[in-house]
Parts: sequence; structure tokens; C-alpha cells
Amino acid sequence: MFRIIRKSLKTGVVTGHYPDSAAPTPQVTPETAEKAALFRRSLTIREVDTGSCNACEMEMNALANPIYDIERFGVHIAASPRHADALVVTGPVTCNMERALKDAYKSTPDPKIVIALGDCAIDCGAFKGSYAVTGPVDRHVPVDVKIPGCPPRPSEILAALQALMATRR
Amino acid sequence: MTDADAAVEKLVDVFQHKIAGLSRVLDIPVVSVAKADLVAIALYVHSATGLSGTLSLQWAVDLRPMEPCFRIYYLFSLPGRGAWLIVAIDLPDSDRVYPSITPRIHAAKWYEREIRDLFGLIPEGHPDLRRLVRHEHWPKGTHPLKKDFAWDHVMGRQQGEYRFRHIEGEGVFEVPVGPIHAGIIEPGHFRFSVAGEPVMQLELRHFWKHRGVEKLFENRPLVDGVSLAEKVSGDTSFGHSLAYCEAAERLMGITVPPRARYLRTLFLELERMHNHIGDVGAICNDAAYALALAHASRMKERIMQLADRLTGSRFLRGVNVVGGTAIDVSRTQMDETAREVDSIGRDFGDLASIIFDNASLTDRLESTGVLSERTAWDHGVMGVVGRASNIDRDVRRDHPFAAYADLALRVPVFNYGDVRARVRIRIEEVKESISLIRQVRERIPDGAVRVPALSAPEAGLWALGAVEGWRGEILYYLMAGKGGTIHRCKVRDPSFVNWPAIQFAVLGNIIPDFPLINKSFNLSYAGTDL
Repeated sequence: MFRIIRKSLKTGVVTGHYPDSAAPTPQVTPETAEKAALFRRSLTIREVDTGSCNACEMEMNALANPIYDIERFGVHIAASPRHADALVVTGPVTCNMERALKDAYKSTPDPKIVIALGDCAIDCGAFKGSYAVTGPVDRHVPVDVKIPGCPPRPSEILAALQALMATRR
Repeated sequence: MTDADAAVEKLVDVFQHKIAGLSRVLDIPVVSVAKADLVAIALYVHSATGLSGTLSLQWAVDLRPMEPCFRIYYLFSLPGRGAWLIVAIDLPDSDRVYPSITPRIHAAKWYEREIRDLFGLIPEGHPDLRRLVRHEHWPKGTHPLKKDFAWDHVMGRQQGEYRFRHIEGEGVFEVPVGPIHAGIIEPGHFRFSVAGEPVMQLELRHFWKHRGVEKLFENRPLVDGVSLAEKVSGDTSFGHSLAYCEAAERLMGITVPPRARYLRTLFLELERMHNHIGDVGAICNDAAYALALAHASRMKERIMQLADRLTGSRFLRGVNVVGGTAIDVSRTQMDETAREVDSIGRDFGDLASIIFDNASLTDRLESTGVLSERTAWDHGVMGVVGRASNIDRDVRRDHPFAAYADLALRVPVFNYGDVRARVRIRIEEVKESISLIRQVRERIPDGAVRVPALSAPEAGLWALGAVEGWRGEILYYLMAGKGGTIHRCKVRDPSFVNWPAIQFAVLGNIIPDFPLINKSFNLSYAGTDL
């Protein structure tokens, strides 16, 4: 018990100790801004992997660590699409995952935001044209926000989400 | 005489007339045999009364542009340090059936199903010929790795249903999970058959993320494959690109400058550290010990930020090139790295002792998800999972690559095979990584970090690259095509081998312990699905 307390005291507060995002924040269209205005104070995300190399997942997981601590901005990760306001999709859509993505999209209640995370989700990246890939995310479900990068750094994802949540009607 | 030579001599002694050809490819003996003799010879190599080799990899090559046949290779790891033996069979173009070795050698189970899906070659006598990579909606006769299948072919659709194995009886029920899971993880389908609490059977269904990686490699120039290898499994970006480079350099006859070899060692150990530390936290979190996760993910982040400062990529991407490394690390950066790593080592040591002091956590970890040594050996299990089940194999020691031949390395091995043993292996390996990084800092020579990769190897030559990634042994088989392109690239992440073993580790455990067991294996879905 005392060791845990000592460890915590020795470590101190680490939140926010990260370099600022170097990449420009993606633009938010007026239609997306209108949808996003509803979620200004709280946004619940469901992440769907449709064929990524799992680097994007690692960066999404990093957002929950004490350094980025995404919950302090009111962003939560939900376990089910039925509890989500936004879907974050990573990876090119493989032909085996196409159905599952569409099902997850249908299960997310309206109004919803779809975020394509990473180069693969935006234009299939290195897997463009492959027989096993059926296209980027916006070929299957409408995408509102695109966060480029291979993979985007957590600080870049954070900046993009904050830009999305800061929009006003 | 090396162990491999001794093994070949023994094999030739026993099977004199049945061996069709004997050759060596870069110190690995290749024994060609006729289809009819395959099972007997493979069994001799595998069995304890013969050579006690484990099947490490089985793969096929479509040779039809050069010779009218398909060839199937079986790579066995012999018990001696660093001994490999390859058995190969040729299938003429008209012949699509070959004998299955799965009924006697379990490790071939998934390889043979994979070859059947990707090449259309049928392993006769395989007990389970359901589709593995091709999900049911792929049209009949789609075999993407055959040379007459275009890489950008647009696939049609058909109707079909995967038949899961069912256990029937009073009170037995099934729990299907996935492909989309509750956490931020990759897609895969698990189906538990449960009576009351204990799991009676677990069936895995993977390959949801099949992206056609092996086909994408084909016809690329050899020097261009690195960026694709980095995207096979993101968390092992450096390990995969290094294994690719090792294979390509061996194939092209390039000698990497010593400084680059040391830098590769440094980066590979950084990758191992952040993944192992992250895993220890995540395993504890699945037993509801969130404190460990908070501390461990903080340390993991520190290492990833360090990697970002050193190379400009948190995942160490773009560092490896065929012929060396694209970047250099200065003396001051090296000192900073050593300081940071030492400080993380102390930090992590504190955390490890806090974790093991916690009796209720130990209670969850101990004797959970036991993978026995026998099962591990039968399935050729490797890496962290294997070493927790007393499989003493580590490519860094057995087939030294990068600068490992010059460095002192201790390989931790435990024999309990439970979740706690796997946590302990990770903690011990983090300590080892820190010691290796310290040794790299002391011994790194000056000089160039890169030599040009100009030569184009003759079509049909091949080489093998083996690297101990943080999960285990990563293998790349690389065959040259015309004009310095790739004819075939077989990628084997350790996950592909370890996934089937998880089905045995969960038996008799309860479903709430599955996340814990799964996390302690922590296998890549992307690396399996390709």
C-alpha cells in the first residue's frame, strides 16, 4: 500500500507531457459541424478495425494512457456501436470485413459521425488495388472527418477531435 | 561438422533410395523427395526417435513461369543450436493433390489449409479442410497466389456458410464473440462451447483482415519491399522490416556495415521493450488491476516518444533499408537513449515488484491458461509463449542476426506455462533489452550506416530471413524473379503458429479468464491474416 502511494508521489502528474501536433488539423465541413455541435461536451467513440496493420489501434489505445488522458476532454470509448456517437474506422475495408462494417454502421444510432483514421482508411494506402480490399471507408459508409497519417500520432488525433468538438453551429 | 550436416547424414542413411536430391541454399540443407515418400520422411525428421525437429514453416511456391511445377517446402528446426533442415516436394502442373502430414504433425494444420486456399493444392488426408483464408463468400476456384491470378482482380461474391464444430448435450451452450470486439482491438471470431462455467471447446476463425500482402509483394523490386513489410503488423514494424532486409541482403549478397548492425539491434530492443511493458500493464488490467496499466502505459509512451525523437517515427518506420539503415544516431542521442532506458528500467522494476506483491492478482494469474510443454512442442509454439512453456528457442541466440553475435544475451525460460509465467518472461526480457542497449552504446563502432543495394540476383534464387521479434520468430522467405523483382515472399509472423495453441490453453478455464489468457499470448491478427 505504502509502496503504491510512494510510487504515485514519485511519479507525479504526467498528463499533458507530449509534443504538440505538428500536422495541420483537418478542416471540418459545415454539415459535420452541425452534427458535431450536439456532441460538444461529450463524445462516445466506437472503434472499428476493417483491415489495418494495428498501428492505428495502438495509437487509439495510447490516447487513453495517463499522458494523453482523452477522457478529460469528454471523449469516451464505448464497447458497443449501440452506445456510440461516433465510429472511428481504421484500415482499408477488406472484403471479409465489409459486412461487419456495414452492420456496425447500422447499429450506431443517428445522428452519428464517422471518422476515417489513417491513410489506409482514407484511400487504402499501401493496399490500394489489392484483390482482397474493396475500397476505402467512404465507399461503404459516409465519412465525415478524415485524419491522415500512417499512423497519425496521438497528439494529432487529439487535435483533430478537439477541433471537431470545438465547432459551433 | 554442424548439427544440420549430422542430421542430413542420418537422414540419408535411413532413406537412401528415397531421397531424390540434396542441395544447400546458404548453409541450409534442402532435401528433395518424391510425393509418395514425404510422410515417412517428414515423420522421421519430426519424431523423437528420429531427428526431433519441429515444423517451423510450410509454404508453397508457384514456379510455373520458370518450371512446370509447384513446390512445397517444409522447414524443420532441429534441436541443435541454429540447425535448420528443409524438405521439399515438387507437384507437376497437372497434379493438385499431395499427402497431408497433419494427422501426425499438428503444426502443419493451418499451413496446409492456407496453401489449399491460396494455391488450390489439396492436402489429401487432412482432417479439417474447411476454408481458412477464403471466407465463404469468395467464389469457388479463387486461389490468389497462383501466377495466373491478377493482383488487382475484382472478386465476385457467392453464398456460403462456415460450419463450426458443435458440441451437443444437455446444458451445453455456445458463446459467439466478434468479429468486432469490445475493446480497441482487431477483428477475429471466437466461439466458446460451455457447459456451466468451464470452456469445453474454443474455435477460432480469423483472416477477416486478409489484405493480400503476399500478392502485393510480387513483382515489386526487391529494394521496395521494406515499406510493405513494415505494414504487415504495425506493432512489430521494425521486426518485420528487419526480417525482410535480412532476407533481401542475403539474397543480394550485401554485407551490412557494422554500425548499421548495432543500430538495428538498438531499435529492435526498443520495440521489444515498449511492447512487453505495455503487455504487462494490459494483462494486469484484464484482471482489473488498473494501476499497473496506468503506470505501464505511461512507460510505454515514454519509449515511443524516445523512438519518435530518434527516428521521426513512433513505430520506427522508415529506418530499415536494404543495405543498412536510413538514419544514424549521434553520440549525444545514444547517451540520452541509455539514460532514458535506465530510468525506465528502474521505474518498471518498482512496478514489477508491486505487481508480484499483490496476492489477489497472483491468484488470478497463477495456474490460469496453462499451455503444457508437450502441446507447445507439438504445435511448434515459439516466442514469449513458447519460452513460458519451456521451449528454449530464441533466434537472437540460435541464428544471430544484426549485432547479436557480439553481445551477451541471456534467454529466460520458465516451465509453468501459465499466465504468470508469460508475465515473468516479459519482465525478464525487458531487463535483458536494457542490458543489450547498454552494450550497444559501449561497443557501437563508427563508420557508414548504409551500403548501396545494386546487384540483381538471378531469377529463382531464394533466401530466408529470421528475426526474433518481440512476439517470437519472424520468418521471411524471399525468392527473386526476373530483373531484381520479387517472385514470391512468404511472411510468417509468430502469431500464425501460436493462435491454434490458444485453443488448448483455455480448455477447462472459465470465460472471464479468456481475456487474461488471450492478452498474455497477445497475438497479432494482422500478422496472421496478411
